[in-house]
Amino acid sequence: MKKNRNITYKGLVLILSVFVLTISCEKWNDSDINIDPDKPSDVSMSLILPGVQQSMGFNLVGNNTVRTNNIWMQIFEGVDRQSFTEGRYQITAADTGNGFEPMYTEMMMNLGIIIDKANDEGVESPHFEGVAEVLMATTLGIGTDLFGDMPYTEAFKGGELIYSPVYDTQESLYGTVNTLLNQAIVNLNNATNVIDVEGDVIYDGDIDKWIKAANSIKARHAIQLSAKNGNAAYTAALAAVANGFTSNDDDMLVPWEEANKNPIYQFMDERTDIRMGAYLIDLLLATDDPRLPFYAEKDDDGNYIGSALRAQNAKASHPGSNLAGSDAPTKLMTFSELKFIEAEARLGLGQAGAQEAYEEAVAASVLRVTGDANTAWLDANINGDPVTLAKLMIQKYIDGAATNQPYADYRRTGLPTLTLASDAVLSEIPLRFPYPQSELDYNSQNVPSVTLLTKVWWDQ
Amino acid sequence: MKTNLSGILTLLLAFVVHISFAQEKTISGMVSDQSGLPLPGVNIVVVGTTNGTQTDFDGNYTIKASEGQTLLFTYIGQKETRKKVGAGNSINVQMEDDAQALDEVVVTAVGITRSQKGLGYNVQTVEAEAISVKPNADLVNSLSGATSGVQIVSASGEAGASTFITIRGSSSITGNNQPLFIVNGQPIDTGGGDSGTGGVNTSNRTIDINPDDIASLSVLKGGAATALYGVRAANGAIIITTKSGKNLTERRIEFHTSIGVDVVSHLPARQKKYAQGQNGAWIGGNADSWGPEISSLEYDGDTSYRWDPNGSLVPKGTGNGTPAQYYDPYDFFENGYQLNNRFSISNGTEQGDYYFSMSNLEQTGIIPNNTYGRTTVRLNGSTKISDKITFGANMAYTNSRSVQIQKGSNVSGIMLGLLRTAASFDNSAGYEFADGTQRNYRNGGGYDNPYWTANNIAYEEDVNRFTGNINLNVQFTDELSLVYNTGIDWYNTKYTDKFKIGSRAQTGGYLGEYMDFNSVFNSDILLTYRKDISDKFNMSATIGNNFFSDYNKYLFGDATGLEIPDFYQLNNSSANTTSTATANYRTSAVFADLQFSYDDMIFLGFTGRNDWATTMPQQNKSAFYPSASLGFVFSEIGDLKSDFFSFGKLRASAARTANIAPAYSTSNYYEAADGGDGWTGDDNGISYRFPYQGQTAFFVDDDLGNADLKHETQDTWEVGADLRFFKSRLGVDFTYFKNVNTDLLMPVPIAATSGFNSVFLNAASMEAKGIEISVNATPIRTENFTWDLVANYTQFTNIVTALADGVDNVFLGGFTVPQVRAVVGEEYRSIFGEDWYRDANGNVLINDDPTDSFRDGYPMNNTAQGLVPIGNFNPDWTANITNSISYKNLSLSFLIDIKKGGVMYNGTAFAMNKFGVSKRTEKREVYYNTDGSINFDTTPAENLVVMDGVYGHVGADGEVVSSGVANVTPVVQDQEWFQGQGSNFGGGPSIAAMEPADWVRLRDLTFAYNLPEIGDVIKGGQIYFSGRNLWIDTPYSGIDPETNLGGATNAQGMDYFNSPGTRSYTLGLKLTF
Repeated sequence: MKKNRNITYKGLVLILSVFVLTISCEKWNDSDINIDPDKPSDVSMSLILPGVQQSMGFNLVGNNTVRTNNIWMQIFEGVDRQSFTEGRYQITAADTGNGFEPMYTEMMMNLGIIIDKANDEGVESPHFEGVAEVLMATTLGIGTDLFGDMPYTEAFKGGELIYSPVYDTQESLYGTVNTLLNQAIVNLNNATNVIDVEGDVIYDGDIDKWIKAANSIKARHAIQLSAKNGNAAYTAALAAVANGFTSNDDDMLVPWEEANKNPIYQFMDERTDIRMGAYLIDLLLATDDPRLPFYAEKDDDGNYIGSALRAQNAKASHPGSNLAGSDAPTKLMTFSELKFIEAEARLGLGQAGAQEAYEEAVAASVLRVTGDANTAWLDANINGDPVTLAKLMIQKYIDGAATNQPYADYRRTGLPTLTLASDAVLSEIPLRFPYPQSELDYNSQNVPSVTLLTKVWWDQ
Repeated sequence: MKTNLSGILTLLLAFVVHISFAQEKTISGMVSDQSGLPLPGVNIVVVGTTNGTQTDFDGNYTIKASEGQTLLFTYIGQKETRKKVGAGNSINVQMEDDAQALDEVVVTAVGITRSQKGLGYNVQTVEAEAISVKPNADLVNSLSGATSGVQIVSASGEAGASTFITIRGSSSITGNNQPLFIVNGQPIDTGGGDSGTGGVNTSNRTIDINPDDIASLSVLKGGAATALYGVRAANGAIIITTKSGKNLTERRIEFHTSIGVDVVSHLPARQKKYAQGQNGAWIGGNADSWGPEISSLEYDGDTSYRWDPNGSLVPKGTGNGTPAQYYDPYDFFENGYQLNNRFSISNGTEQGDYYFSMSNLEQTGIIPNNTYGRTTVRLNGSTKISDKITFGANMAYTNSRSVQIQKGSNVSGIMLGLLRTAASFDNSAGYEFADGTQRNYRNGGGYDNPYWTANNIAYEEDVNRFTGNINLNVQFTDELSLVYNTGIDWYNTKYTDKFKIGSRAQTGGYLGEYMDFNSVFNSDILLTYRKDISDKFNMSATIGNNFFSDYNKYLFGDATGLEIPDFYQLNNSSANTTSTATANYRTSAVFADLQFSYDDMIFLGFTGRNDWATTMPQQNKSAFYPSASLGFVFSEIGDLKSDFFSFGKLRASAARTANIAPAYSTSNYYEAADGGDGWTGDDNGISYRFPYQGQTAFFVDDDLGNADLKHETQDTWEVGADLRFFKSRLGVDFTYFKNVNTDLLMPVPIAATSGFNSVFLNAASMEAKGIEISVNATPIRTENFTWDLVANYTQFTNIVTALADGVDNVFLGGFTVPQVRAVVGEEYRSIFGEDWYRDANGNVLINDDPTDSFRDGYPMNNTAQGLVPIGNFNPDWTANITNSISYKNLSLSFLIDIKKGGVMYNGTAFAMNKFGVSKRTEKREVYYNTDGSINFDTTPAENLVVMDGVYGHVGADGEVVSSGVANVTPVVQDQEWFQGQGSNFGGGPSIAAMEPADWVRLRDLTFAYNLPEIGDVIKGGQIYFSGRNLWIDTPYSGIDPETNLGGATNAQGMDYFNSPGTRSYTLGLKLTF
């Protein structure tokens, strides 16, 4: 009996020892366990590009930028809650993070990776690089128009331990935008390209369209300097226009779909706090503009009504299918905008062709919005009516609903003339967006100190 | 059910009538202690009967007993003494001091049992019986107020809602701060319950434990107590041992049934005077209740107005005469019921023992269709393979199932739709039209009718869990033994998240399907050598090894926009997304434990553990964690012990413990591209994702990894004293502790302009220090009457001493404004928000500048300065007192729980202001003169208020101009105020919504009748009534302030349309056969 028991001990000790030894520490603690099986450590350019484009469509020209400044521009009217508060020009650092941060973390960071990959030895892909540069310039351009100075030269370098990048002046950013677009045009024209542009949800890899887009964005930012550079701005704009978009087919649009609905649609669906503004609706009603039914929905009584400034008229028209349809594309740049730029430049230089460009611009806008030429309406209201800067800016304003351009143009030209909200907390409509809380908190040594009435460089 | 219950009761009562057969005589005598002094209050019973008495002040007693019976003498601190009744009538007894009586055995780290007497650190145990009769599904709720140093917050009163437990504050900035749970030596996964600002409250996985299975529960609070758990030790530990058949002499069957009712407790007060609309005009479908007085309106009976069965509201005299009325939306809440049945059978012999149990809990919440259910089965057994080898196994299966209802900041949230509902609208008059569209107070838009939410949106969760371990105990010699304990904790969670078409948060309908698998593996081997080196000098040494792994993987798919209504299947949509993620890590360790004791007086212990963890980079995988502790029982010195002073111990300990990085933090990856704008999107705020346009896409992960991470360090010090008086009838335990956490691992937020939102660093430091005092007393102990009292007091601070370079605060949770943050130099988890303009003395400025845009006579939100600290949820101190009183077979126990200090964001009330539904908006009536001044003749005087502050304004350059003169200008808090700075929506500062969240509450009350032995069948039992939160006194104006929007998360102190708390009443019956 005793003997048996000893055997049992030995057996058990043996089994345990074997167990401990077989799972040796090194094997149990294999470093490969700490490799995430569900996340890739590298992906191709074509798998990065559509994410950037989607984010641009949603954020750069979506809720946190367009909705706010279109309320200020009285295209929309905030009738409730936060949108109502924004309508009295109350916006703080806490409100702009969701608009500002994706430009860096989602858009430009990943565009920088595409540009690096496009330069990989042996698989140099200037076309991919060019597309990324156009998108980088588009993002930086819209971003700086809203925020002024922004980090670029030291930005996106967290991986190199730069956690708080310095800010570049808007003047230098405008130089960067131009340089990026010039490089893009060179790269897009480069015949030796290894990897074709795929994953492109804007132009499906059509390089000619990307070249036009590069020139069109150049024109946008050239004319934005009209107050700063005078005729030189118009000349530069016209030079770019010459190689820019040639029809609505060239529009730089980000599409939306069932699983990924238009950002303003989603806002109206879940928050419902904005209506069409009376200023825009009254302009459209005055000429029975064919774009009206596409810009606004009828109210319960079957009328198109804009909510008067600060009236909180929740019964007013909701934004219509062109601005807030579930699959309405968001606009990074359009042919019509380009033609307005051309008309303004020619008008400013006293050149022939301003009238034609203006008429083409409105025609392009009406066709894009309504799907119909509406020639009779154009003949009755636009064609032949001598263009002035005021008329042009009104039409550009109508055309630019649900984009950031009316706000950029308003600060540059003061047009159209808008009245201040009765309960305004500022003496004028804000001249910029405030920097987000994340920059105040985590990049405090570099972020410029500004108020909502600090002019951006091109407005000074 | 009812019939059965009453049948059993009748039967029981019949047995209570007890007839005794005896030929009794009177015995008398004197009881003395070891030194011969008379002992008053000694309990004496005749064994096998209920006949008993106590000694008087001189130690004398008399009792009736028959020859051959046995008298049992018991007294605290004395050995039990038995005397057989012989022929004589006098029995004198000298009792012996019992060292063991003070020597409660507690289970400490890695299952090592030690005598409480020698511990060099604070360990508290919680009585298993008290846990078993409390009406809480999650045992963590039953630990509330049971010890010192432990803070527990339950998310809400919903069935299956989460709990959040921390011990001695927090030790991590953004990581887990909840303690390690060990069941029978097996670490178990207790995650879950972190719900964000919207969605639903989900359960913590501590809810999977059947509280009736618990035999003992120890709370290990400090580093020295947990040091043997190494990298898992930093947050303290809850050590649970489940029941066994050990020490039983015969088969024992226990049956425990209880039935309970939950009712809604506190709710925010609403105005009942004004109807839906704006500016005194009724507007159907309007968001707000700034309409005319309800008493001035009647219905028009227009049936074409589909939103109200009585038609539109019109001025009195112009409609059909049916008066408008106030509808109380709180009628929505129901009584919640719970039915809990528990059964166990156990037995033990020399050769082995077993314990088998089954339980089933069915619970409905106060919100219609909110349910929780749990079924558990457990089998614990052990057998002696030989004299020296014992083999045991414990296995438990749990099914937890719940249906949760949308809550919080969410247009489908129950309280959001319910509390915003206009005073003149009746939610209960139908939530769905025949065509399937929704009827709500917003005429179809806005927020879901709460009845719609409860009936048409459901989050159905089902968890199947198996936990098991085997253990082998080999006693090689009296001195050398080996314990091997290995086991697993496996569970699978699945949920479906269904939104009917027309739900406000998912207008096209929605289905989410989730499944995960979680696995914890643990193996401990301990070899222990005990040696009595001399009579007085004893030692024991243990060496051991541990392997541990933790694995989690989930799959998620969803469908947005359902084609076939009410058909919840992923294919029923053209918009599907999927996601999956894994988290897997392992650790291994070797450890040693050395204990010395001298003369039952000096107890010295050392431990050391070296851990290796896969989540750390190769060069820093390993780290060493030591501890030392000393217990000095100074009452053993000389003649210190007396009738007054029974026991005294001083203790001191120091330890280093730690935490490791989460899996995959050392390198950088790409992740599926998606994002949100902060306004729209699914439960996770995702508004855009892939697939999109037939493509898939990835972004570089915006959280930067770091290949230079090292282990965190937590250094803890603890000193304390355990003093007992009056033959141990009064005990006082005092502890001072200090935890210093350095190199805390966290994703440090960095400027997004760096291209990343965070980088993982050993960045932060934190410190917690405080005191814990526990008092045990038995003020009265007589033959039939006993009064026991246990009180605990806890006070500590938990300061963030450093974050990363250039970072002085970190987001923990909440909203854009306000939010909960960790801030350098402040108590952990500060609430950050906007504040009023104030002068240099901190006085609120009341605007005196008629030319600016602010209203005169009101304060102004200082948006220019951004977010500042506006309060903290952490209490200044907490205390609890449990009184247990028993008289004969009756006992009453009640727990009073006090929380002093700490504020909470009452965003619910702040938002209700804007909607004109909160009680404070009732005094809104005001008339102005043409110059804008108040017409004091027509404005009701009771509506006038003077806002607290000093006159001042904001100068041209944004500077504060203060007059320093106290404001005396009367104003009315009217619509303009509440739609302006008087609410969050109008741009008011969050500080206006901070309210004290103190409380004094009768947390638990149990009244029980202990059943005597009834015949040969029923050996005992109990009938009890148990209540929870029967009384709460709090200055908080909303729901029960024991709540948290995000559930079990570090971001505490937020109330934004949280679901309310409950009061519970339970009736239970326990029978032992």
